[in-house]
Amino acid sequence: MNPAVLEGFLSATAPEALAALAAGALIGLIAGMLPGVTISSGIIIVLPLTFVMGPHVAISLLLGIYSGGMTGGSFSAILLNIPGTPSASATGLDGHQMARKGEAGLALGTAIFSSFFGGMFSLLCLYLIAPQLAAVALKFQAVDLFSLIFFGLTIIASFAVQSVVKGILSGLIGLILVTVGQDPLMGTARYTFGEVNLLQGVHFLTALIGLFAIPQLADGIAESLKGTGKGNALSRFGSIYPRWKHYREMIIPTLIGSVVGTFIGILPGTGGPIAAFLSYDYAQKASRHPEKFGTGCIEGVAAPESANNAVCGGALIPMMTLGIPGDPVTAILIGALLVHGLAPGPMLFVERADFAYTIIFSFFWSNIFTLAIALLGVRLLVKVLDAPKAVLIPAIAVLCAIGSFALRNSFFDTYVMFAFGLLGLMMRWLGMPVVPLILALVLGRPLEENLRVALTASKGDVSTFFTSPISLGFLLLSAVSIAWPFVQQWRRRGSPA
Amino acid sequence: MSRTCRMWLILVAFLAACAWSAPAGAAYPTKPIEFIIPFGAGDSADIEGRLLAQEMTKALGQPVVPINKEGGGGAITYTLVKNAKPDGYTVAWNSTSILTSTNIGNVPFDHDAFDHIGRVEYQPMPFAVKADAKWKTFKDFVEDCKKRPGVLKIANAGTGSTTHIAAVAVMNAANCKVIHLPVGVKRRNATVLSGETDAMFGPLTGIIKLAQAKQIRILTLPSQKRNQLIKDVPTATELGYPVVIDLFRGLSVPKGTPAEAKEKLYKAMVAAANSKALQDFSKKAGFTIDTMDAKEFDPYLDKMDKLVKGILKEAKLYRSKKPTQ
Repeated sequence: MNPAVLEGFLSATAPEALAALAAGALIGLIAGMLPGVTISSGIIIVLPLTFVMGPHVAISLLLGIYSGGMTGGSFSAILLNIPGTPSASATGLDGHQMARKGEAGLALGTAIFSSFFGGMFSLLCLYLIAPQLAAVALKFQAVDLFSLIFFGLTIIASFAVQSVVKGILSGLIGLILVTVGQDPLMGTARYTFGEVNLLQGVHFLTALIGLFAIPQLADGIAESLKGTGKGNALSRFGSIYPRWKHYREMIIPTLIGSVVGTFIGILPGTGGPIAAFLSYDYAQKASRHPEKFGTGCIEGVAAPESANNAVCGGALIPMMTLGIPGDPVTAILIGALLVHGLAPGPMLFVERADFAYTIIFSFFWSNIFTLAIALLGVRLLVKVLDAPKAVLIPAIAVLCAIGSFALRNSFFDTYVMFAFGLLGLMMRWLGMPVVPLILALVLGRPLEENLRVALTASKGDVSTFFTSPISLGFLLLSAVSIAWPFVQQWRRRGSPA
Repeated sequence: MSRTCRMWLILVAFLAACAWSAPAGAAYPTKPIEFIIPFGAGDSADIEGRLLAQEMTKALGQPVVPINKEGGGGAITYTLVKNAKPDGYTVAWNSTSILTSTNIGNVPFDHDAFDHIGRVEYQPMPFAVKADAKWKTFKDFVEDCKKRPGVLKIANAGTGSTTHIAAVAVMNAANCKVIHLPVGVKRRNATVLSGETDAMFGPLTGIIKLAQAKQIRILTLPSQKRNQLIKDVPTATELGYPVVIDLFRGLSVPKGTPAEAKEKLYKAMVAAANSKALQDFSKKAGFTIDTMDAKEFDPYLDKMDKLVKGILKEAKLYRSKKPTQ
């Protein structure tokens, strides 16, 4: 065995490193849970501390926060329908519905176990085939990224089955809203009406908090006023440990999520939210009962949750083999390691192979610690659900306000959040699905960036999207993806049953 | 009066005394100073700024708290600091972006809307190609580009960014027609490695690792002098293209900040710049610590501003929104 592997394992398993990991996983879980405190901001808070630690302790702490945060974000998405981190936004779609049906425990358990699996899967990829995967990811040019993201946008079709017009309208509203702010390529202001705060655009988590949480608050208040508190379904928690039949349902979506998450993680300029939504959609298409998605099914939680933890390992791959961050968190990790004189990148495995393996084994431990701490912590979370409405509703309102403020230290964003809350209420009243709007908010910016870079490179020649084989492949898949839900619906209507 | 009650009274009295004595007795700074970073966490501006803030804390005896206010290529931070109370408790960690974001018209003011404390460091913006590219020297690249005008692609961090401005200036000086591709910071290095672009301009700190790993080759740098990390690479001026554009970073405060506060901030800035932590980091990362006081920094900014304005005008991106005009 390569002595560096053993050395790396030993320093990642040193007591001080494991203690840092446990602390990190706990901090991550809490940061992930609190809306507005993203994983990045959790890491920033402890960053100055890591300057004075040994590098193996520093990386353990940071990776602990990374994995912990990815799992923690799902807790508030499931329990409160407020995603704690952007990556958890797809989890709430089915997770919160499960909680409403009295299966909160099962939803949390599913999230915890599929997160663990996703993390471990990406770890294996990192350990075994990192250089090969990084080489494949490098082949993705702007044209290909555009088509990949366009493919992601076609998920809208799955949510537009009830009403094509309303679904597409919702998506278009989202696409219009992402154009607000600084032009991603030129840096000039667009649709800001002279308001400096609008220059940074609408943060999509701000929009998400408003769209999901405000209508729910309105419901809660209405119910309390009427006194029809029809028994708090949420107070039924259920067991967190999935049963055998649940595991069987989880297998396929978790595998899909793990593969999608790892690969999306590798691609620079993408990240958790995109991976979560894509895997949610693939899992729905692969499912034998796609109509159950969105009503609270295990598969709808397992896919995005395994995907967002798989992003961690995926994003570490280009960081360690190329020195290119796969997502915002790995960008911070590179900076943190630079302070220690360790430059992640192609030379790391040559010059400091022991430390490269320290990172890999720290990530291994961070998955295990996150699993353990999350399972222990879930018991405490039950208390949240026992809280009476008179306490819970104001607390959620405060979390929404603080969360939207804390994202970018901007109170303006809190107003934006409320504006989206009103939009959410209006859309519900009109029977418009919200998910297409969110998808457009997540995907709109990278879609535009890559479209314009690709067209600048080809001097405006559109055929560039069809001559690149990767791009062509994704465009064909997009066509299938758009047609799929309608074909399915037609088949169902056509069959005599 | 019960005992606990008396204890509480003493505690309250003590705290009140503390609160009272601080502003009355001591001079600036008596409370934490906000250190606003115009770019996101983990960015080179962020890492360098955080180290500086940490060292300034030691020099000032009050916490210098780094806060990221990213967005608008720096516009968010500069607007916030310009409008902040001029009391010395809000400081902007500026960079070349204070010239680009103002000239591109994102904010209705220019760099002279601030008082500047001084410059801390600068770093070159080298020109690099993939290690196995056919161009061994910058001259090779220029010749090839003249043979095939409008074909070669050069990656930059965004139109109007410092890397773009460096690319436009150098390519104009070399009389080269190329496609400037604003692929963004995140994908800049990747596009060169994958061959999506032929070359790039990037801050040395962001590309030195790849150069040391022999994945890319640095051909020239539009800088004042050669950099010690890449001693063999000639400057653009040496090659006959007299272009000097470095990425600088320094401190700015709202206009009207008291002289006493500015003086103390400057002293703390210099002390922090010369600290071992920052000096060590600069050697690893490839930036040059070279402090300037306001007397030197102001004309330096004016000179750089003219340069940036000229390039942006040429690229048809210049847009001043000064209310007086």
